[in-house]
Amino acid sequence: MPSTLKKIIIISGALSLILLISISFGLCFGSTVGGFKSIWESITGQPQSDPVMVMIIWEHRLPRVMMGVLAGATLSLGGLVFQALLRNSLAEPYILGISGGAAIGAIIGINLDLSYFPGVSLCAFSGSLLTLFFVVVTSSGGASLKKDSMILSGVMVNAFCSAVIMFLISLTKDSKIHNIMFWLMGDLASTENSQVLLLLSLLTPCFIILFLLSHYMNLLLMGKEMAQSMGVNVNVITFILLLVTSFMVSAIVCYCGLIGFVGLVTPHILRMILGPDHRILVPATIVGGGAYLVICDLLARAIPEQGEMPVGVITAMIGAPVFVFLLKKVR
Amino acid sequence: MKKSKFYKILIPMILIFSTTVYSKTFTDQLGRKVVISKKPERIVALAPSITEIIFALKEEERLKGATLFSDYPPKARAIPRVGSYVRPELERIIALKPDLIIAVKDGNPKEIVRRLEKFKFPVFVVNPVGMESVLSAIEDIGEIIGEKESSEILVKDMKERIQKVKTVVSQVKVKPRVFFQIGIKPIVSAGKNTFIHELIELAGGKNLADTTISYPRYSVEQVVKLSPEIFIITSMARLEIFEEVKAKWSKWKHMPAVINDKIYIVDSNILDRPTPRMVSGLEKLVRIIHPDLFK
Repeated sequence: MPSTLKKIIIISGALSLILLISISFGLCFGSTVGGFKSIWESITGQPQSDPVMVMIIWEHRLPRVMMGVLAGATLSLGGLVFQALLRNSLAEPYILGISGGAAIGAIIGINLDLSYFPGVSLCAFSGSLLTLFFVVVTSSGGASLKKDSMILSGVMVNAFCSAVIMFLISLTKDSKIHNIMFWLMGDLASTENSQVLLLLSLLTPCFIILFLLSHYMNLLLMGKEMAQSMGVNVNVITFILLLVTSFMVSAIVCYCGLIGFVGLVTPHILRMILGPDHRILVPATIVGGGAYLVICDLLARAIPEQGEMPVGVITAMIGAPVFVFLLKKVR
Repeated sequence: MKKSKFYKILIPMILIFSTTVYSKTFTDQLGRKVVISKKPERIVALAPSITEIIFALKEEERLKGATLFSDYPPKARAIPRVGSYVRPELERIIALKPDLIIAVKDGNPKEIVRRLEKFKFPVFVVNPVGMESVLSAIEDIGEIIGEKESSEILVKDMKERIQKVKTVVSQVKVKPRVFFQIGIKPIVSAGKNTFIHELIELAGGKNLADTTISYPRYSVEQVVKLSPEIFIITSMARLEIFEEVKAKWSKWKHMPAVINDKIYIVDSNILDRPTPRMVSGLEKLVRIIHPDLFK
């Protein structure tokens, strides 16, 4: 036990360092002014620090970077949990219909001209909860939550939601279509510090609960019967994992839209490097996933000359080659 | 003693008076009150149409930021970009240290306006939805940037040209049926609540897209059934595509527009951007729809 604890601390510590470095890069660079000197000046409150610079860093980049950390952490952890829970390596946080439901809710909210927060966010959140409820109800035929039926229900619900989304888009007025497209592509730009704090308060208990259950995730991966024979109350654990993870993913989706690829790829990459023990992987995905999305977002906004690109583009463009590279190496 | 007391009152009064003299409140087209403390020297325009208006008022020196596709006049391409008009980038706007930001209601996200105000930047929103509101938007913008007179001259000129068109068109007895094609795939036209509709009607035509949907879609069948006498195709499609589209419609030999060879291409930017060029667009439309009035 102690050696695992030591491992957890060392690995989390190393990744946290990477996270801190990513955060400082995210704060120091962007589509306009950049450089470590400027941020150091504004931290130490130098009188010659440009007030506009200070404003950009603390009021604009800070919430965006922090949201990147939270979104990256949540989506990666969500992917990790679903991969264990559903015993399927293609599982990712949106697999149980959360994305479809949230998107429908958001589109309705945008069409009703509601403000992004709380209006559209609440619509997206309710949408995701509805689809999740639907998936759970339709897949729990017997007394237990069968994992295959959950995935199948989730895929079907997502497919149906895609059709509804296409229908809603076809009805939408031109100007709103852009808003919808940007929501669907995922966007960390529209956040403020107050929203970040709210999200942090909602997500931290989820992270803690999932860390405490990480041992059970290891057991669940061995198969349902095996886990039950080791004294795990599979139904209760599954239910809690499902609920907590869905809640946190829905919370992130309703703020940031559908940022793709992070939840699928980061757990795999970390698992290939760190091994399959979830007690190590849970904190690792939280910190590592956060760092990954912060870097991707920085690249998405700092590189293009004419205007930032959606962060989902970068997460896929970087994530896929890294994943393939690691896959070949591990082989 | 008396003198110092006098100054104790006078000096604060002067200070208060001076700040109130330079601090002006303007009401924008959404009824919002916008306060600026001095003549704006660093303006950011959040739509290509606003960039055009500022150039038309000859105040481009004070324009420090514009959105993508701010392409008219050609000099506007040199203005630093702040993202697109449906997705303005906060960081780029803030870094330009604007003292006035001009936004449009239709297109700029409300969220951006709200956050810019939170950063204490004055944001003036215009809402040009028809010829009247375009003219008052130009006047409002002129006033807030401190060029009231130039904007009034500009608007007066525009009004005169519009009146000329109206006078010429008033002689018309029959309004030709016009189909204005914005989209190629799918076929999209401009309905009743658009500038294009208003300009077609002012130019003495009858817009066949007679619906309250702003950008309705049509199938080929529906267009053929409408039997347009004049086809106007927007140049958002480039010239090669225009020839292709023209050839496609020309296959319907019984359509009046085909019989009389009245299929035209027009630069869409002069017809659907709420700027002074709209009047040129109107003049062009009149010549297309009623060429006989100009013999």
